[in-house]
Order: sequence, then structure tokens, then C-alpha cells
Amino acid sequence: MCSASRFVAVAACAIIAVACQKGTRGTAAPNSAPPPMHTAVGPIPGPGDGGPSAPNPYAGDRQGMGEGHRLFNQMNCAGCHGDHAGGGMGPSLRDVDWKYGATDAQVFSSIAAGRAFGMPAWGTRLNDDQIWKLVAYIKTLRTRNEIAPPS
Amino acid sequence: MRWLPAVVAVMTLCVASACGRTHEVGGAGPAPQGKAASTPPATRLVADVSSGEWRMAAGDYGNLRYSTLDSIKPSNVTNLRVVTTLNTGINRGHEGQPLVVNNTMYVVTPYPNNLLAIDLTKPGGALKWAYQPHPDPRAVGIACCDTVNRGAHFADGKIIYSLLDAHVVAVDAETGEEVWRTKVGNIDLGETFTAAPLVVKDKVIVGNSGGELGVRGYVAALDVKSGKELWRAFNTGPDSEVKIGAGFRAFYQKDQGKDLGVSSWPPDQWKLGGSTVWGWLSYDPATNLFFYGTGNPGVWNPDLRPGDNKWSCSILARDADTGELRWAYQVVAHDAWDYDEIMENLLVDMNWNGRPRKLLIHPGRTGFVFVLDRETGEVLSAQAYQPTNWATSWDLQSGKPVEDPSKRTKFGVVTRGICPSSTGAKDVTPSAFSPRTGLVYIPAHNTCMDYEGVEANYIAGTPYLGASVKMYPGPGGYHGELVAWDPVKGEKVWGAKEEKFPVYSGVLATAGDVVFYGTMDGWFKAVDARTGTELWKFKCGSGIVSNPITYLGPDGKQYVAVYAGIGGWMGAVAFPDISIDDPYAGLGVVGAMKEIKKYSGPGDTLYVFGF
Repeated sequence: MCSASRFVAVAACAIIAVACQKGTRGTAAPNSAPPPMHTAVGPIPGPGDGGPSAPNPYAGDRQGMGEGHRLFNQMNCAGCHGDHAGGGMGPSLRDVDWKYGATDAQVFSSIAAGRAFGMPAWGTRLNDDQIWKLVAYIKTLRTRNEIAPPS
Repeated sequence: MRWLPAVVAVMTLCVASACGRTHEVGGAGPAPQGKAASTPPATRLVADVSSGEWRMAAGDYGNLRYSTLDSIKPSNVTNLRVVTTLNTGINRGHEGQPLVVNNTMYVVTPYPNNLLAIDLTKPGGALKWAYQPHPDPRAVGIACCDTVNRGAHFADGKIIYSLLDAHVVAVDAETGEEVWRTKVGNIDLGETFTAAPLVVKDKVIVGNSGGELGVRGYVAALDVKSGKELWRAFNTGPDSEVKIGAGFRAFYQKDQGKDLGVSSWPPDQWKLGGSTVWGWLSYDPATNLFFYGTGNPGVWNPDLRPGDNKWSCSILARDADTGELRWAYQVVAHDAWDYDEIMENLLVDMNWNGRPRKLLIHPGRTGFVFVLDRETGEVLSAQAYQPTNWATSWDLQSGKPVEDPSKRTKFGVVTRGICPSSTGAKDVTPSAFSPRTGLVYIPAHNTCMDYEGVEANYIAGTPYLGASVKMYPGPGGYHGELVAWDPVKGEKVWGAKEEKFPVYSGVLATAGDVVFYGTMDGWFKAVDARTGTELWKFKCGSGIVSNPITYLGPDGKQYVAVYAGIGGWMGAVAFPDISIDDPYAGLGVVGAMKEIKKYSGPGDTLYVFGF
């Protein structure tokens, strides 16, 4: 085990060394540590904090949620996120984790503007009304109101 | 450092000289026990097999994944222990396998496809360098089945491999400097690259992935020195683009005709017709042909694409210099189950009805093991190796399956109880062949499914699927099996069943008559090549979906290496961002794999075992 852990340590050091070399290229080392900062720089936003907060006009609207479900299939959301949004190529929308925020407005923003690592910006193809319906459908997942739950 | 180019040059020469040779095997070895044939079969290999180093994905051009190393035997394999480990830092599916060249091990990680060079002469190994290609992160979202990479090929002093963002890179094996980087595919159209390239002479042959996104499948050849694209051969479309010319001979009538890559589709559908090349390439130096299988036709809903849909789900043989198609055999016309036939094609000559024949052995996703004549594409046998009900047998006269029409899927109808499922009786993880036993060792699945063709809407760069699929374990109380298959008799010799999960690792066969494979719950196992008796196992930190290799260390001793890092299509269910309350998620695999979360979390570890 000794040799194994030493190897990992050596590997880690080497990776860090490479990273450091990259990061510090061209910058002079400071002569002394900066003075301590006593003023707060926060708060650091958590999921659901700080984003836009517009209400979803279709929240709880059965027909809007149904149309959102139809769009979910038609726009190939189901292909990436799963037929019932359990995940696949894209992350699950049925769990409690929201990488980019859980509020209706934040989910709207994720759909409209896209996200890194492959979520397209659907705002170029769908209007606000359609995106709000998608949000309304997504918000029914794993609830009693779920449109077309998995069977 | 100064002596290295000379060593590389010598090694390149060795590879080149191996291309022209064939090898007789048979007659030697200890008295076998168990059910396997007691006399080693007369076998002729198409090229050198691995015998100390591991220079290409399969270890050899014939895709046998067999090593002549024999220090590890049934009698001493219980003494194997971990000699070193390395974490790659990337917690996604570690498919593929390392290379070992000149006392250096090369590890390609899943996206972001870093290349780590490990100096095996240092105690416990030591990182020589890490090359970071920084592929386009948008590729992550269009990769159908996790962000995997299936390995590299060493040639011309370079480590050559594909990046998820559809580029191919060549990295100086000594210095870690990028020598060239070529954009081959286009992620905006949904193309990713996951397969390992195969270098034949001065050409790097690569294929695209993305059959779930309506891409058009092809293989391309790049110049090994410069990376410049030399030719591209599509698997759908007009003969001129498929590279069908005067030298093309299809064995069966069903595969003969002009521009079938267009006429066997609805108008323009061939442009979105999938038929990608995300599996394995093999090469026969004597005929100068390379072989590969093609993926599913786009879209998954068969009623949206009437016709045979050529050349999806096919086995193709092309000239390695020009890319010209020499023969093609469409395994399944008008696929209705997502039965990609991208599996490995093992090349070996064996006696067939008393005379030696040049064989191509293809353990298929369809549930059948196919044995073809690799000069003509004639199917010599096709026998089921796992529970299979969509077809009952194969008609060797016509080359067509004898189908059960009730299992053919349709638009708007849920067809239930189809075996195997879309993931197949095996998936991409490759089999091995031992010339000492004459057996193919197949990592098999026993998974069935319900399948419904649904609406599909082509939007470039998004899934073009058209099917709702739910999978579940098949009949018989097991979910996976390592099958030892006699290709000449067309029958199973033994099987090592796995109760909980499919066998989703590759297999390694060795001259020590020990066969290695891994399980999705993290056991790395050694079994007796002749009997299947479990000899040794070790619990790794994550499920194994990679392919074990073996090599000689600088100390002259035999080592075995494998990645433990669950992922890939079926293994991705272990990731936290997939929910198990949607059995249709992950393109239908969640229903079959929901137990995995109890048995394996994500991992990223290279394990090396030795005495």
C-alpha cells in the first residue's frame, strides 16, 4: 500500500506542478501576504437564491402543463433528459438537485439561454410562452400532479 | 532520453514486419482439463498478438485480446495482488484500456480526454507527463451514452486517439507534445468520437459516433504523419460516397444493387441515417482489408424509415489503402430494436468442415454469434448465445434472420417482452479469443425490453430517437454471463453467470489459460480458460466497464491492468444525475439497472495487479 499511496502522491504533485506552472506564468510572486480583509464579500448565492424571480404564468395550469409535456417530447427534451425526465445524456429533472437554480425563473433561464456542457439555448426556437409551459410541466415531476408519470 | 527515437523506430519496424506474417499455433501446452477440447485446435493468426506490450486497443489487428504471456496460470493466479493504483480524477465511465509501450503506460481518460504517461520503471509507477487537450465542453451534452473513450493506438512514435468533440489527436509518446490535431466531425450536427482509432500502415482510421442524433456514419483515414484527412467513406448514401465501385461483391442478393444506401431509405432519410462506427476496427494484412460493424439506422422508430436502411447494422470490409468497399453484409435489414452491430470482429483462420478458412467471428448485439468468411462475407453460421426471441434462427441461404413478426416494433404500439433489449446480448465491450482453446470469450447480457415507436423531430444537435424503451433483466435468474463459445461447433462450452448485472467489461485471454473480466459491481475476476472455474477475484472501488490488458514490466514480470470506473450506457445509471424512478430514462436502461446504485458509485481508478 505504501508504494501505491506514494505513487498517487507523486502523480498528484506532478499534476499540481503542471497546473501551477500554467497558472503563474508571467506573474511576479508577491513580496508579502496582503492585509487581512474584514469586510464581507458575500453572501455567496446558493441554488434558488439571487436569480430572476418572475412568476410562471402557467404554474399549476393543467392545460399549460400538458402542452409543456407535449413540447418536452416534441423538442427532444425527452431524448436527452429521459422519457419522464429521469436523466440520460442530460441530468435528471426528477431529483432535488438543480445545478443552475430551482426557481421557475431559473429553470426558464436554463431552457432559454442554455447551459455549458451541451444544453442548447432554446430561446431561439421557442417563445416565452412555450418555455413557461415547459417549466410548468417540469415542476409537476414527482408530484401528485405529474403529467404522464412513468408506468 | 536520447536513445528513445531509436527504440521507437525499431518497434515500428516490428509492427510493420508483423503485418506480413501469419502464425501457426497448436499442439503445445499442458494437458487441458474440463469440457474444452483436449487438443488445441489448428489455428492461424492474422498478425502478431500481444506478447509483452499492448500497442493498440485490442492488442492485435485480429482483435483477439490474447497475450502470449503465461506466467500467470491457474495454479498461481491466487497470488495476484494490487501492485499500484492511479486515480485519473475523472469520475465518468472508464471504457477502453491503457497501452503499454517501452516501459510506459498510457491512459486516456473519459472527457476531457486527458492522456497520462506513467513511467513503469519507477517504484509504483510515476507520472511522466499529462497531456490535456481541452476538447469543446459542448460535446458532453450530445454524447449519447456517457462521455467515454475506448482507447488509443501507438504508431509512428505517437499516441493517437479521438476526442469527444470529434477531433483526433496525435501526441509524441516520449514528450507528451501534441504533434497534430484534426477536426474530423462536427458536434453541431451531433457527432462525437468515442471509438479507438486503428492505424494501418501510414493511415489512422477513425469512425464517428452519434447514431442517436441523426448523424451520418462514416470512417475516415488520416495521414499518420500530419493528421491530414486522406479519404472518407460513408455508410449511407450514393455508391460514390459509400466508396462502392467495381471491386464490390456482396455475397447475398439482398445486399446487391446500385445506390442501395439511397434507395433503401425514404427520400433524404439516409442523410440522417446513423449507421455510425463507434465500436472496433480489425485488420487482416493478408487481404489488406479492414472490418467494422455499423450502428443503428436513424431514427429508432422503424415506421419512419421504410426500407432496408443500408448500410445500418452491417458488417463492412474495406480496402485499407483506398477505403473502397469490398463486401458488405447487412445483418439486420430495417432494424426495429436498435441492434447496432458495431461489435468486434475477431479475425482468425480455423478449420471449417475439414479445410482451413479465413474467418471473421462477430458476437452480435442481436443475440447471435456470426461466423463469416472474411474474404467474401458469406455467413457460415449464426447461433444464439443468449435468450433471443425476436428471431428464432438464421437462414444461411438468404443471409436473413427467421423473425418472429410479433416482436417487430411499430409506431404507437408497445411491443413487450423482446429479447435481447437494445443494449443487446452484448454491447460494445469486446470479447477475447484464445488460440490454445479455440474459444471466444464473450461478455454477455441477458436483458429484455418493451419498445414503442414514437414521434421524432429532427433538430440538429439534439436526440433523434423516436422510441420509448423500458428494459429489464431477462429470463433465467441471471443478468450477465461470460460465455465461452466454440465458433466452429457454434455452441457454448461453458458459461460463468453473473446474477445481478450484465457483463459490461471487455475480456482478456492469456497463454497461461487464465481469462480476465470485470463486473459492474466492481469484482475483477480470473477464470480458468478451459472450464470457467473462478480462480481469483478482487473487489475494486467501482464497477468495471473497461477492458483488461496484460504486459511485461521492466522487471520481466507479467502484470494485468484494468480501470474501475463505472459508466457507459448501462453503467451511467450509477451516476447521481440519473433517477431510478423513471425506468425509461437513460434511453431505457434505467429499468434494467436501477439496482446498480446500491453496488457501485462512480470511480476513476487504474489498478495494476502482479505477484
